Amino acid sequence: MATLVNKVKTRKRFSLSDNLFQLFLWGYAFISLYPLIWMLFYSFKNNDEIFVSNPFGFPTVLRVENYIKAWSQYNVPQYFLNSLIVAVATVIITIVAALMFAYATSRMRWKGKAFARTYVALGMFIPVQAVLIPVARVVQDLGLMGTHWALILPYAAFNLAFSSMVFYGFFLGIPVEMEEAACIDGANIFQTFFQIIVPTVKPAIATLIIFTFLNSWNEFILANVLVIDQKLKTLPLGILFFQGQFTTDWGAMGATMVIASLPTILVYILFSNQVEKAMTLGGAVKG
Amino acid sequence: MKKFFGNKWAIAIFTLPALLLFTVLVFYPIVQVFHKSFFDWNGLSSGTFIGLENYIRLFDDKVFWISNKNGFIFAAVITVFQMTMATVLALAVSNTKMKGRNFFRVVYFIPVVLSVTVVCQLWLSIYNADTGLLNKFFELIGSDFSQNWLTDRDKAIYAIAFVNAWQWMGYQFALILAGVKSIPTSYYEAAKIDGATAVQAHQKVTIPLLAETYKFCLVISITGGIKAFTEMFIMTGGGPGNSTYTLTYMMYSAAFRGGEFGYGLTAAAVLVLECLMAIIVVNRLIKTENAAEEA
Repeated sequence: MATLVNKVKTRKRFSLSDNLFQLFLWGYAFISLYPLIWMLFYSFKNNDEIFVSNPFGFPTVLRVENYIKAWSQYNVPQYFLNSLIVAVATVIITIVAALMFAYATSRMRWKGKAFARTYVALGMFIPVQAVLIPVARVVQDLGLMGTHWALILPYAAFNLAFSSMVFYGFFLGIPVEMEEAACIDGANIFQTFFQIIVPTVKPAIATLIIFTFLNSWNEFILANVLVIDQKLKTLPLGILFFQGQFTTDWGAMGATMVIASLPTILVYILFSNQVEKAMTLGGAVKG
Repeated sequence: MKKFFGNKWAIAIFTLPALLLFTVLVFYPIVQVFHKSFFDWNGLSSGTFIGLENYIRLFDDKVFWISNKNGFIFAAVITVFQMTMATVLALAVSNTKMKGRNFFRVVYFIPVVLSVTVVCQLWLSIYNADTGLLNKFFELIGSDFSQNWLTDRDKAIYAIAFVNAWQWMGYQFALILAGVKSIPTSYYEAAKIDGATAVQAHQKVTIPLLAETYKFCLVISITGGIKAFTEMFIMTGGGPGNSTYTLTYMMYSAAFRGGEFGYGLTAAAVLVLECLMAIIVVNRLIKTENAAEEA
């Protein structure tokens, strides 16, 4: 009897703590998601609804004009285009340079390749924050200020270390017979590299494209110092500028934030597994 | 084959772009940080060498100690919040029997893919004392817990640290989840046969096996606290007063607002050293524990 009572008791306690745990999981999901839903809601509201009549809920009228206003009056297309140019160029330069560098340091034979690899890998330990001032100087001295290159080249330089490390790991795993066969067939090293080796690491390339794209689309600290020209501002800077200029128009501000977030959220929802893999690669390499 | 792999032209073409980019935009700047930290430099001329004077001034500067204290608070808040939440949530989602686990996975991770400016703007309006969501919520439930979240000298740093913790929790969640997935299920079967409950199994099997993952999580959240900048830049401007300054913020305002580039770089140099020290200490700590377990 006693054991039976005990059993019932433990089961009951178990289900209570189970329910509490469920509540906790939903609670955190709410904390994680509601600010975004709230942002989406207020991008369709006017100031009165946001602040007074309906701060929490679904908009009573979908004010699409907030989006039209953000897009047509507040420079948003320009910011969007700048972000796109910078992100795409950064991805291309980073991936190509890292692929070539990783290939030369993993498969080719030359003195000093271990040193070269360690040298570039140092980049993973250098915080962007710390080198802001000298980077700004270098960019200025190279005459890049006032062009998209002011962001593209530093972004590529800072993404290089990580991408090279990842590709290096992948290249080490390829059997040498791949190159031997190509060599016997009369292919030179460039043909072999681009036509035979690069396609074998396609999954790694896809992952790093996503990683680098997200990084440069969202980058703020360098952009904040390296872009002065209004015409070159990327979305993260544009949002900040917007706040300073049009503080009274909250609906359009919300619309701008939604537009800025849409590409990365879409990338995440479409490729959620790859994005998580890309982000967690860091754990495997740096750990 | 030797000629094939030893092709000097190919080696040069393959390595030069990366070496050049890295040297000019990462390596040379970091050398400059340490070099110029010994100079009185206004950013324009070549500056005058003043030895350790910047460092002496820095260690005497009240703002430097406030910045360090804030870096510490920031690191503590994000480390504790992210690692506990991420562990609990990742273990829950790793259970294949869980209903709607994909939904939870996506929802917990999604703030990570947002731009930090969007996140800061969003929380700026959530924290707003008069019109913000948070105070409105307390009003709604009839609580008088409403605060001036960002204008209180003592609380502001916690409020902005929470924003960072909120945004990046999902990152550690994904790291730990990936780690859990790599543990063979046979370990859990064995634990179950030995009569362990799910919680015990995680305590004895999962968490010790994830030592590497936790090491990495610790490194990113501690250095993340030391380096913190964007949140204070956007949400408080370092204020009220200088109560939410960090080392990066100190460097930024010394150089770009005060024109004292040499002094700013001294703060930057200390920042780099503190980050390196954090990495070394974390690696030591977790390594010793591993060695102790083996022995």
